[in-house]
Amino acid sequence: MTRWQRRQFTDYVAKALGVVATAFGLFWLAWILWTTVSKGLPALKWGLVTQMTPPPGADGGLLNAFVGSAVMCGLAVLIGTPIGIGAGTYLSEYARHTKLGAAIRFINDILLSAPSIVIGLFVYELMVRPMGHFSAWAGAVALAFIVLPVVVRTTDEMLQLVPTTMREAALALGVPQWKIIRQVLYRAALSGIVTGILLALARISGETAPVLFTALNNQYLTSSLNEPTANVPVVIFQYALSPYEFWHALAWAGAFVVTMLVLVLGLTSRWLIARGKMTNE
Amino acid sequence: MASPQALELSPVDLQGRRERRDRLLDTVFRYAVTVCAVFVLISLLGAAFSMLWGGRLAFSTFGWRFLWSPEWDAVQKNFGALVPIYGTLVTALIAMIIAVPVSFGIAFFLTEIAPPWMRAPVAAAVELLAGIPSIIYGMWGLFVFVPFMGEHVAPWLDEHVGPLPLIGPLFQGPPIGLGMLTAGIVLGIMVIPFISSVMREVFNTVPVHLKESAYAVGNTTWEVVWDIVLPYTRSAVIGGVFLGLGRALGETMAVTFVLGNAHQLSLSLLEPGNSIAATIANEFTEADSAIYLSSLIALGFLLFIVTFIVLAIARFMLSRLALRAGKIT
Amino acid sequence: MNNVDDPVDPLSVTAERASNGLLEAPAKIAAHNLNFYYGESRALKDIELVIKEKRVTALIGPSGCGKSTLLRIFNRMYAIYPKQRAEGQVLLDGENVLDARYPVNRLRTKVGMVFQKPVPFPMSIYDNVAYALRHYEKLTRRQMDERVEEALKSAALWREVKDKLSHSALGLSGGQQQRLCVARAVALKPEVLLLDEPTSALDPISTASIEQLIDDLKADYTVLIVTHNMQQAARVSEFTGFMFLGELIEFGVTSDIFTHPTNAKTEAYITGRFG
Repeated sequence: MTRWQRRQFTDYVAKALGVVATAFGLFWLAWILWTTVSKGLPALKWGLVTQMTPPPGADGGLLNAFVGSAVMCGLAVLIGTPIGIGAGTYLSEYARHTKLGAAIRFINDILLSAPSIVIGLFVYELMVRPMGHFSAWAGAVALAFIVLPVVVRTTDEMLQLVPTTMREAALALGVPQWKIIRQVLYRAALSGIVTGILLALARISGETAPVLFTALNNQYLTSSLNEPTANVPVVIFQYALSPYEFWHALAWAGAFVVTMLVLVLGLTSRWLIARGKMTNE
Repeated sequence: MASPQALELSPVDLQGRRERRDRLLDTVFRYAVTVCAVFVLISLLGAAFSMLWGGRLAFSTFGWRFLWSPEWDAVQKNFGALVPIYGTLVTALIAMIIAVPVSFGIAFFLTEIAPPWMRAPVAAAVELLAGIPSIIYGMWGLFVFVPFMGEHVAPWLDEHVGPLPLIGPLFQGPPIGLGMLTAGIVLGIMVIPFISSVMREVFNTVPVHLKESAYAVGNTTWEVVWDIVLPYTRSAVIGGVFLGLGRALGETMAVTFVLGNAHQLSLSLLEPGNSIAATIANEFTEADSAIYLSSLIALGFLLFIVTFIVLAIARFMLSRLALRAGKIT
Repeated sequence: MNNVDDPVDPLSVTAERASNGLLEAPAKIAAHNLNFYYGESRALKDIELVIKEKRVTALIGPSGCGKSTLLRIFNRMYAIYPKQRAEGQVLLDGENVLDARYPVNRLRTKVGMVFQKPVPFPMSIYDNVAYALRHYEKLTRRQMDERVEEALKSAALWREVKDKLSHSALGLSGGQQQRLCVARAVALKPEVLLLDEPTSALDPISTASIEQLIDDLKADYTVLIVTHNMQQAARVSEFTGFMFLGELIEFGVTSDIFTHPTNAKTEAYITGRFG
């Protein structure tokens, strides 16, 4: 084999391995999705949204878990988004090249990939222990800490993408900066910021560890935000590890719903990004 | 305001009043967003401090021994972090051994090999893996992958690799499916999308003229990637790997399902074990004494410190490429 | 240097004769001993300049000569960048607007600006024009409609957009967007309009309509235009300043500058030997 042939051969092998690696990655995706669909779809039934989570050994639904998750995710977005947009605005508009800005960006990036279980313990110490009980509020705050860095990052990035000329054009009219940021810059960055919120929502809708130590679980539907509250991920966790077939089926049904929700949110945000790119060009 | 003159403000007065209000609101807005930003800073510090505070009982009771004691005895109230630390490091290591080469292969495929129409959909599909909640990985692991490992992979390893010298002891054990190897593989699958998307992005930052000049002198695609792209992006690639490592170290639910929750130190990767995150998730709601709870929170503190360091390295390495790329273009 | 104010200069006397009393217009803006710095580097050197009221004044010169920098001092646009600073005086109707006590937003309502690239805000055509008005004036719906119409008419855009005021401004053509920016700037009824290479991103037809517009605007506004296009300066302006390397080399009546430049550098530039 000549030197050139050997180089060609190496190139060929490397490319083949690249293809194999990609197939390997997609293989797991397909396997996991197939499992979720094939086990979750048969477990879907009308009772899921009309019945409460059952006591041991009995059959039931996930109504209280769906409601609890929806309430906590909604509260988390309501708490995390304004703070996140504020912090992202600070980074982009007031601290783009300052040391404090760089430090906050760095810390935010770490918060973005920090283990969610750590957030759960933090909010346990922050709220559950002082209050003396688990609650939906604590769960929502824990999830809000996961929403926060996602929104900070996308707001910062999206505002930085708004051309400087637009800021200058608005300032040249003599309108104060706070008004310009709210009325012109947010509007220009809107689709990006919405995408960030959707991504954050996708992330928290399946998060388990943070709510496990903060909201815990509840067998019933509760109207108080100060009580332990059922939620889909913790119910999945507990039912999957139980010995009952009924409960396994409920866990798969919950898993299927959460996965589909996450996929829909993920695809929607991708579509928004793609559409945003097209209108910018 | 009560006097009749004050009701008819001259245009100049109105202007002055509006200017003062505008200035005030500008200042208020600026302070408000600054407070939000500082809140981000404080929340990370707060997380560290609250766990240190929660774990103070464990740290003061056991001292440094907490770090290397293999004991974990709720009855005797004697706790040490060695088993979970060992399990965390071993599973993360297995995950990286799987995920790094695969991620590199995917990034290579997506930036150099795949036809253009294929790149965006395949990249999106790989990134969907990152979006699936970890509890789904856990359920899939427990109900599908663990039996698969127990029936097919573990017996084969035990029979064929077990007798080998040196690496043999790592693969001897019962075919139960649960254990370090299974957890490591699941973690590996979970971090592949994180590492591969960073690699793909940084590979795309390599200036086209660098690659073209290498192709022009007759280099193959592989040689261009290995000799030009990889050295150029080295620091960011390492950053991406550390980002994945940070994920693998702190991942909770998936590991909790498949690791077996056994407080034992064993050389074999086929034996069940425990990790920091899995220990906390499994035992937190059952902790019946103050020292037990404090020990679990102390574990959380250790996890926080380790992941903080790993993620800080990751961000530092990533920012170095960003800096250089910024200077070149 | 400033031969406009020098009565014994023979050229200036000719200019006065040629320009039908142009020089008698009162001064609107006067820059005195004006220096500008980007960090440590000095970008403008001892500028002395008088801008006449309701006239069109053009600033020309090769790129990097400081003409845009000078323009951006008149509404303190530079102030949003922390490392940029101006020293000296810029008098607007006798008041020094560089003084930190002079409210910058008041200055910007008196001195409007149109930029090189059209930058419509991501909102409707109507809202673009009404944007600053809503902040500064409490108007009824009808009064607002009238002001928007007036502004769009003075920007020669009314006929084209009157049926689609609620459409997004991003759907307009480049030339229409630039005229919308003019309408947005004049809606507040400023006294001065700064135009920073307003046609350099436009096609020839749009350029012609903007130039026609400048001619109409001088009835109500003092217009200051920066352009790299000498023909444009000659077509639209009554006064021209030639800048080079941060200095105002020559300033005078446009026809003079283009026919009898006194400075060798000016002559070299306008005859196309550099720039």
